Amino acid sequence: MYKYDAYDTRIIRERAAQFRGQVERRLSGEITEDEFKPLRLQNGLYMQLHAYMLRVAVPYGLLSSKQLRKLAHVARTYDKGYAHVTTRQNFQYNWPSLEDVPKILDELADVEMHAVQTSGNCVRNVTSDPFAGIAQDELEDPRPWAEIMRQWSTFHPEFAALPRKFKIAITGAPGEDRAAVKFHDIGVRIVKNAAGEVGFEILAGGGMGRTPIIGQVVREFLPKEQLLGYLEAILRVYNLSGRRDNKYKARIKILVTALGIEEFRRLVEEEFAASYTPDLELPVGEIERVKAFFLPPAYESLPDGASQLAAFKLAPERRFGQWVTNNTVAHKVPGYAAAVISIKTKGIPPGDVSDTQLDALADLADRFSMGLATTTHTQNLVLPDVKISELPQLFAALENLDLAEANYGKLTDLITCPGLDYCALANARSIPLSLEISERFDRIDYLNDIGDIAIKISGCINACGHHHVGHIGILGIDKKGVEAYQLQLGGSPGNDASIGKILGPAFAEDEIVDAVEKVIVKYLELRDSAEETFLQTVRRVGLEPFKQAAYEKAPAAAE
Amino acid sequence: MQHKGATHWIVTANFTASGAVAYLREDGSWGQKLAESRLFADEEATKPLVALAQKTQQFTVSDPYGIDVHVGESGIEPVTKRESIRALGPTTPIRRPDSGRERLPV
Repeated sequence: MYKYDAYDTRIIRERAAQFRGQVERRLSGEITEDEFKPLRLQNGLYMQLHAYMLRVAVPYGLLSSKQLRKLAHVARTYDKGYAHVTTRQNFQYNWPSLEDVPKILDELADVEMHAVQTSGNCVRNVTSDPFAGIAQDELEDPRPWAEIMRQWSTFHPEFAALPRKFKIAITGAPGEDRAAVKFHDIGVRIVKNAAGEVGFEILAGGGMGRTPIIGQVVREFLPKEQLLGYLEAILRVYNLSGRRDNKYKARIKILVTALGIEEFRRLVEEEFAASYTPDLELPVGEIERVKAFFLPPAYESLPDGASQLAAFKLAPERRFGQWVTNNTVAHKVPGYAAAVISIKTKGIPPGDVSDTQLDALADLADRFSMGLATTTHTQNLVLPDVKISELPQLFAALENLDLAEANYGKLTDLITCPGLDYCALANARSIPLSLEISERFDRIDYLNDIGDIAIKISGCINACGHHHVGHIGILGIDKKGVEAYQLQLGGSPGNDASIGKILGPAFAEDEIVDAVEKVIVKYLELRDSAEETFLQTVRRVGLEPFKQAAYEKAPAAAE
Repeated sequence: MQHKGATHWIVTANFTASGAVAYLREDGSWGQKLAESRLFADEEATKPLVALAQKTQQFTVSDPYGIDVHVGESGIEPVTKRESIRALGPTTPIRRPDSGRERLPV
């Protein structure tokens, strides 16, 4: 894991001190809210419906146990005893007071954390594959490159006032995209070219929000040392030509679409050729310095554990067996597995985790996973380096914490934005819907029968709940002052990226969960085998059968 | 006495220090109780107070604005879901019910 050097420490401390002064001036009435707002947003501080909300950056989702304990401490001391894992691998606090925020930032700086650039029209937190560094299908660990991009984009003076926010994601697994790179302003894929060299494929212009667009390839192969120079060229073209007259048309996806990918590519390559000098080339020594922070930990030499894992899956203790089956992921080192800790507990808002749970998770990370954990954009937490032989002890500990739901990748593993319960932008509530769906389908055998499926819920068109890429996507809308919900099917964030299609007119609040259930029942009827996933069935048969099912009215009762 | 469901307007904001929801009271001060809000006949009537708050009360509150409410036998009720949730708090659990730790008030 990357460790701050003296420069990192100084700039984060200085920024916290600077913000403390800004807060003091706001609280004394010296500056107005209009003057303060852009300053607080650059420091991740929003004003939501009931309170301020502080978004804390978790670069590429990676956390140490020490940082987890600090997040627990902040939740306990300055908030209402819980924190929230976001859909971009960050943490949010929903209830801090303004006067406490400088103290929180100082506390976060103590463990090399901050809230810088988690809001505002700048380059946001770089996200990545939650299984980075341990995935069997990985060509190369993307985290050193994510860290290099983090350092480059932090306080980059040229890109501090972009037309709109800017999000970058990177994956090192060419075969399976678990970072949704095609739905980012820039997506970076580590790839191998025909000559066997490893470099980057660069995509741009993807995004969700009110105009969902799949990113397109700008450069098929970029030598590694040119990464930052090429990203600068893309951002420079965007900064110069992106629209600033209309915030809804200001994202880079609108520019790429308006120009066409060929013209956009030409402009980027022209800018790159004009501005790139050997000085901009990443020094090999610097790349190696950063890579050294991500060297594999001291794994023990263990048997591969396959037979033990198979036995665990069939364990007489069924809950444990189901959890191993659904919530463990293959590791590249024999004898180890990644354990996905579902933060989708029954009756609890998705992604909410209490201070005591965070403290306990820190202890579990130390005990079972070499002190590290990773957040996922699906609002879960991964312990990446667990010995297969220790899975029973880990599961027992998670059960005591109410964090042992065996639902990773299943229907109740919903992505859900905060919605109208918290968010000032939302049109409709998301969390109650999510909880109702979870309750409706709360039968593990049924979940396993339905198989892998992703339901994603957003409370407004800004799509923080990623509804466009849900196999089932739900969008909350305001219909003349009443909450209503559009249903869409067929989205996917991966290599087979697709944007879901709207099924028909919006459903009322008391109809939407029934409609989801009808769609699921129809899928079970239509699938050609138990192996055909929901997404495959939707792609094979189209929307019409699901539409008929979802809008079918129950026959009137006989008189 | 107001008849049930009559539409009025009130002025709301968020307290600058805490971020909590604030309502303009009859005496010109700000409180957290919707029931203590000063009632206005229409949106137009709220505008001078909103402007005044923006100009002179930034120290106390941020982003003041007027909202429509129904006033009836059960008191003041916001017209929109958004403002109902602002007044009453989230409709979902706000923290995990940990044993040994008292649930904090909304």
